[in-house]
Amino acid sequence: MKRLTRISGIALTAALVSVGVASAASLGLASGKLGAGSAAVSGCTSSSLTATRNVDNSGNVTKVNVLSVPQACAGQTLAITLGNSSNTSLGASSAVVGTCTGGCTATVTGFGTVSAANVTAYSLSLTQ
Amino acid sequence: MRRFRPTRVRLVASILVGSLAFAGVGYAASLGLASKQLHAWRQTLIKGTCNQTSTTADDTYVQQALPTSTAGGTATTLTISPVAAAQDYAFIRFNLSGCSLPTSAGADSAVLTVRVTTAGADTISLFPVTSSWTSSTLTWNGVSSLTVGSTATGTFSASTTGNKTVTVTADVDAAIKAGTLWGWELRATSGTAIVAIAAAENGTAANRPSMTLSYAK
Repeated sequence: MKRLTRISGIALTAALVSVGVASAASLGLASGKLGAGSAAVSGCTSSSLTATRNVDNSGNVTKVNVLSVPQACAGQTLAITLGNSSNTSLGASSAVVGTCTGGCTATVTGFGTVSAANVTAYSLSLTQ
Repeated sequence: MRRFRPTRVRLVASILVGSLAFAGVGYAASLGLASKQLHAWRQTLIKGTCNQTSTTADDTYVQQALPTSTAGGTATTLTISPVAAAQDYAFIRFNLSGCSLPTSAGADSAVLTVRVTTAGADTISLFPVTSSWTSSTLTWNGVSSLTVGSTATGTFSASTTGNKTVTVTADVDAAIKAGTLWGWELRATSGTAIVAIAAAENGTAANRPSMTLSYAK
């Protein structure tokens, strides 16, 4: 009985870990806590930088600018997902942060036709 | 060597470890499992409206025939004329300071409404102004020192009286980021008639220029 309980505990732990791995690849905006606040893993910054978007006269997003990106982030990939109130992705794109002096403004284009009126959140990441 | 005793406490601990591993892997993987370094964050936008009326409007018209006149600043209608040597241009802007929008905000949509009070077969085009002016001082001679876009943001036909709307979302979005909306120069780009639109000083409040603005900040 004790052995059975021990095996059950280990098996349950393994199962939870494997479920985590399995679902990770598809984890998207629907996971409500994704990116809330900030979490840095030896990255170029630990700050939650401010993003702002430009629109055309039809109100569609033409680009997203991330302000005051530290120079140390040059060369890293900035990925941005535009989300709506249902935490659904409306468009995503990425760009490599260029070199600059001081705080950089990183610009990401290519989101397709996304109405700014429907965008309620940006999910951003910097990866190397 | 101590034997592992499968107590209830240890079973719960195992579940807890598994749950934490699940959460950690899930967060990291959203950035790409191959990522060496990462930083992720989420920015939530606040939506709102800040419609503009004559209270925040400033407008005038300038006259080629009277190149130093500032009379348009207090006029109740704004004349727009394409007549050679007697052209008139109108200018309209809104003070958005009451919206308390940071420069990181942006317009989701913006629509300007003006009312044609004297009709004529003209197409009126709106060109964005991005330098400062005020209705009390702007003259025909002063227009040359303004920064006016060369591409029209929008147009309307002045062939009938009544309200005309022009979508100005991109201009207002850019103005929010610049900190100030300097509005538009309105001039006839086709036609030969002298037309007029109601000014912010017009006696009928419903006829005055207005602008609907939806924003995100």
